[in-house]
Amino acid sequence: MRATIVAALAALALAALAPGASGGARSGCPAAWAAGWQKLADKIDAPVYCPTWMPNPLDAKIGGDYEDIYSIGKDRSYLVSFLAHGDLGSGDVHVNFRGYPGRTEIPKCQTIALEGKKTIRGVTNCFADAHGTANAPGITATVYRVNQDADQWHILLAWRYNHSLYTVSEHVIPPYTYAQIVQNLHRLLKSLVLVRPQG
Amino acid sequence: MRLSRRRFLGGAAAAALGGAGVYELVDRLSPAPHRTVAEPAGMPAEQHLIDLGTVQSEGVEVVVPPLHSEVVTATVAVSDLRDAQQELEQALRALDARYALNPAGLAVTVAWGLPYFERHVPAQAKAHLPHDRRAGKPALLPTRTFPSDPKDTLLEENDVAVLLRSDRREHIDAARKALFDDLSIFRMTSIRRGFAGGGFHGGKSLPQKMAVAAGVPGADLIPDGSELFLGFTSTQKAGLGPGLIANHETLGYVDLGSGYFRNGTHMHLSHLTEDLEAWYLNFDFDERVLTAFRPGMTQVKQGTQTVAQGPKDVSSPQLLARQFHTTGRFGHSASIQASSRLQQDTVGDDGTVYPKGTAIPQRADFNTLDNPFAWTVDPARDKLSKQPVAGVHFVVFNPSSDDFHRNRLAMDGVLPDGTKLSLPPRTRAQGFNSILMTTHRQNFLVPPRRHRSFPLAEL
Repeated sequence: MRATIVAALAALALAALAPGASGGARSGCPAAWAAGWQKLADKIDAPVYCPTWMPNPLDAKIGGDYEDIYSIGKDRSYLVSFLAHGDLGSGDVHVNFRGYPGRTEIPKCQTIALEGKKTIRGVTNCFADAHGTANAPGITATVYRVNQDADQWHILLAWRYNHSLYTVSEHVIPPYTYAQIVQNLHRLLKSLVLVRPQG
Repeated sequence: MRLSRRRFLGGAAAAALGGAGVYELVDRLSPAPHRTVAEPAGMPAEQHLIDLGTVQSEGVEVVVPPLHSEVVTATVAVSDLRDAQQELEQALRALDARYALNPAGLAVTVAWGLPYFERHVPAQAKAHLPHDRRAGKPALLPTRTFPSDPKDTLLEENDVAVLLRSDRREHIDAARKALFDDLSIFRMTSIRRGFAGGGFHGGKSLPQKMAVAAGVPGADLIPDGSELFLGFTSTQKAGLGPGLIANHETLGYVDLGSGYFRNGTHMHLSHLTEDLEAWYLNFDFDERVLTAFRPGMTQVKQGTQTVAQGPKDVSSPQLLARQFHTTGRFGHSASIQASSRLQQDTVGDDGTVYPKGTAIPQRADFNTLDNPFAWTVDPARDKLSKQPVAGVHFVVFNPSSDDFHRNRLAMDGVLPDGTKLSLPPRTRAQGFNSILMTTHRQNFLVPPRRHRSFPLAEL
């Protein structure tokens, strides 16, 4: 789903008004978003992290206007992606959430490079170029700058919980600057609440 | 692999700092470094030489580049070249008298393009221009493009380019005024400005500060202290040609004929944009090392900026070809070293022995936020924009055009012995080339100091 962002400055000015803008209030997954995240946790039979804040103009309603990807693998790993696309050239806001239940190693991604008529295939870590950590209560996340697949061009935070690996990432692209995206990710991390599978 | 993307300038800061305004920050952002450069007793015969002094960076001796560089290009605006010759020489001598020939003062290099020789002194040029005996061609060749250049790379036709280098911007401003505003012998075609270094003693370097201030995409990803935008130190002493090695006559590549251009050299000038976000968000540190230097270089400590490239670390065409067939890629330095480093011990024209592995080119490149220039007489042709963009004004001195062409072709996998490391232009496996975009090129001849003003016009 797509939405139009009018202008970078407008987006920044409105940031404080974004859904869940009280960011960091980890009282629980927002009511409007909770059903989707609960359904995801139930489906994969493992805890998932629901954000209580999202960078403007996104919300984190699975099945909502901004959902871009909702994918669950055979191994129960998931990718939930939210995207606001600036149709008038004002930029994108794109946030990905991933989880890998029951495994904590950095996953491998396939690389495919077309060199003329040749296709060169390789394998690389999906998340690389670690640059420090980010902290939130109960979470110490590693910051990765070079990421693959849906997280390419994103800054990504990865952390381990209960023998599982989780990530959140945001695309480095205007209207937000790199510094603002790092700030967004720190705020996102602090806003996360666990949603456990029911039944 | 998404290596192209729509991009924007972030925030009001960039807009406010656009165009020439960004350079007003330069002096505030990085004061002139303390240097221990001895003032030369006399002016060297070569125009392109300047004693820059060195520091140790991560255990490697590194040449400290001038903080500020500027190139002004122009066409000749007068018909009486002998009068113009006198006027220009007087102005240059006044600058020589006013500023010491070191980075605390000013270095001026006057280079002349093929259009000058062909349009203004054709008969004399035919008799006196040096000939590259190794290539079997003139030492100054028409400018050409290379396999990884975009199709719209502009091959320029300036008569003259003046390279101004100093740690002090006001010295460069004064020189530009003296040569181009106060004299009426040139019609300026472009002004190109930039900067380098400033971070050797810790903290943020000048390129890093400038990129962040201008808000260019990827600026925040440049490592602290980085000499240039791409995060590696490019002026280590062993990687730059020593002394007189880039002179036409030194390595014997060039037949000087009458000797008029003895102590002269060749200069290539180009402008390239750099996609910093692609560099830092698509290449992890290990891959940046592999692609900037050579495949197989896997033991470099994370975060290292100065990677030793001494004669013993140099690649050979055979090693390069072998590593390419094993890994499917070739490093930037390794590919160029196949032609830019001496393949055997060589005795120079003056008896100096240059060991195998010695670098030949003398680079004077500098980072810029010009898009593509600070000013141009033809904004439409040059696609001038006020939005800053990360880039390089690449300036390099080689004994001849052909010597530069060999190096540049090697960078695209075309080796001097005819071996082709076949990769399509600008692929990721070419590393640097995939994030660089050349906008403009031109070859020039740099006469010796004694003939720097309208060479051959007196004959």
